[in-house]
Amino acid sequence: MGRHVKIQELMGIGKRYDLGVLGGGQRVSVVLHKDGHRELYAFEKSAEEPSAVLELSDDESRMLGAVLAGTYFED
Amino acid sequence: MLQAAAAGETAGFGENELVTIGAVLLLAALLARLGQRLSLPTIPFFMAAGILLGPSVPGIVLVDDPVDLELLASLGLILLLFHLGVEFPVQQVVRSGRRLLLVATVYIVLNVGAGILLGLALGFGAQEALVIGGAVGISSSAIVTKVLIELRRLANAETPVVLGIIVVEDIFLAGYLALLSPIIGGAETPLALLGDIALSFGFLLLLVVVARFAAGAVAAVVHSREDELLVIGALGLVLLVAGTSEELGVSDAIGALMIGLVISRTSLSERVERLVRPLRDAFAAVFFIAFGASIDLGAIGSVLVPALIAGCLTLVLNLAAGVFAARVYGYHQRAAANLGLTLLGRGEFSLILATLAVSAGLDDRLASFIAVYVLLLAVVSPLAAANAAWVARRLPDRLFRENFTYVRGETMASSCTHLDTVRQVEPKTPEGCEECLEIGDTWVHLRLCLNCGHVGCCDDSKNKHAAAHFREEDHPVIQSLEPEESWRWCFVDKILIDPGATGTSGEQAQGTRT
Repeated sequence: MGRHVKIQELMGIGKRYDLGVLGGGQRVSVVLHKDGHRELYAFEKSAEEPSAVLELSDDESRMLGAVLAGTYFED
Repeated sequence: MLQAAAAGETAGFGENELVTIGAVLLLAALLARLGQRLSLPTIPFFMAAGILLGPSVPGIVLVDDPVDLELLASLGLILLLFHLGVEFPVQQVVRSGRRLLLVATVYIVLNVGAGILLGLALGFGAQEALVIGGAVGISSSAIVTKVLIELRRLANAETPVVLGIIVVEDIFLAGYLALLSPIIGGAETPLALLGDIALSFGFLLLLVVVARFAAGAVAAVVHSREDELLVIGALGLVLLVAGTSEELGVSDAIGALMIGLVISRTSLSERVERLVRPLRDAFAAVFFIAFGASIDLGAIGSVLVPALIAGCLTLVLNLAAGVFAARVYGYHQRAAANLGLTLLGRGEFSLILATLAVSAGLDDRLASFIAVYVLLLAVVSPLAAANAAWVARRLPDRLFRENFTYVRGETMASSCTHLDTVRQVEPKTPEGCEECLEIGDTWVHLRLCLNCGHVGCCDDSKNKHAAAHFREEDHPVIQSLEPEESWRWCFVDKILIDPGATGTSGEQAQGTRT
């Protein structure tokens, strides 16, 4: 899987992780800001403008990450 | 303040400095919030607050003399540059490579050079022209970064280049300040001027050496585990260094920037950056307000046309630099337009240079000229960047590398990176589509796989064997096998690769990728 994640320095802002082509040609980029907050860019197939951008705090990112990783929650 | 007291109307009220600063900061925040609704940067609105409450607009004159704000404003200038130094990404610049340096140098030389020439053409003196060169040539880091975030461009292919260019511009700023302040400092003889320049660069070099070898010792002086003591220590350090450099005849701006760079090399950099940011925001706002208040609205008429000319010049040169960068990096029109138009914003650095010019007693019109220019571009650049697609459609294909042709609004995230998979191939089944021949079916057009020579039918054919071949074998690039057609298509990047005017056969188009 590793080769599908591209790391890009964004000088003065932080780092960007590009998750290449997901199923059906969708792309996801995660921008990790220096202050810890994240932005998650989602692109439809071959689109240049993102179809959604989520701004997440440090905590929110961990929560989303845990859910995505399949952590079991009970409400 | 004497005037206000004499007029009697705002006496007692306008004299209270707390009321003045409070009212003007509040107005600045309200105006900037209004601007944010329109996705405009804050700097022009802070200036507007200063203009509105300053002496040149009739009505409420709270800031009757901008000198009242001088100390706080100079704190703003110092903290702006200190913070810039602290968050300076030294490691990333070192790693960034030659292409970025080339592109940034071209950007700076084009814009600063044209600014100096424009200043001379407008009838300013040589010293004033040098100030104009810097003010016109250096993008505003604050505005550029804000535009990128607001327009959701952080994931774009060209964004690392944009951010790299503004960082290289910051380095250039340090050198330019070191050169400019002795030149406008008013040395009597050429020899004295040379001495001043040597002193200025010597000071710069000294702080570079400190940053390189003695940053730890400096950090030890201000180090504390308590945030409270760290921020006080850091503030004391930067003011001391900035003040010392001013006393030495070197600009306080350089001292602030370079001591920030020293801190950036230490383990304290992240904490100092976080602690200083709110201080910087507050005092920088006062700096912009004070600059606005110092502008004589009566003089604006005489600088409006020159500022408009300068704005148009910057716009054209930014697009030219954008096209150049796109050629170097192999980007398409869209990226070129994004690059040029995002870097258009001018703000804090232009105003810092204008402030230096004012305190050195240069031509009065300079401050108004730069103020109008900054107001113009700070408002135009977000709008222009938002409409970059419109500009991109009007950039002619021949300006770009022929492999990366922009196709009728077809969008792409980055250039095709799969041309290295292309080989010299002969069609395996020149008579037709391999699979269709096997099953005895028909096709519309034929496509040649440039990796293995497989011949398949196109997506308009009912079997779509060329696309099926890509899915099975992962061979991304195909070329049309139709007579008179030589275009290629990358399935992964979804880019049409036009061999262009010069290349009619496959190997020529292949050879142009460098």
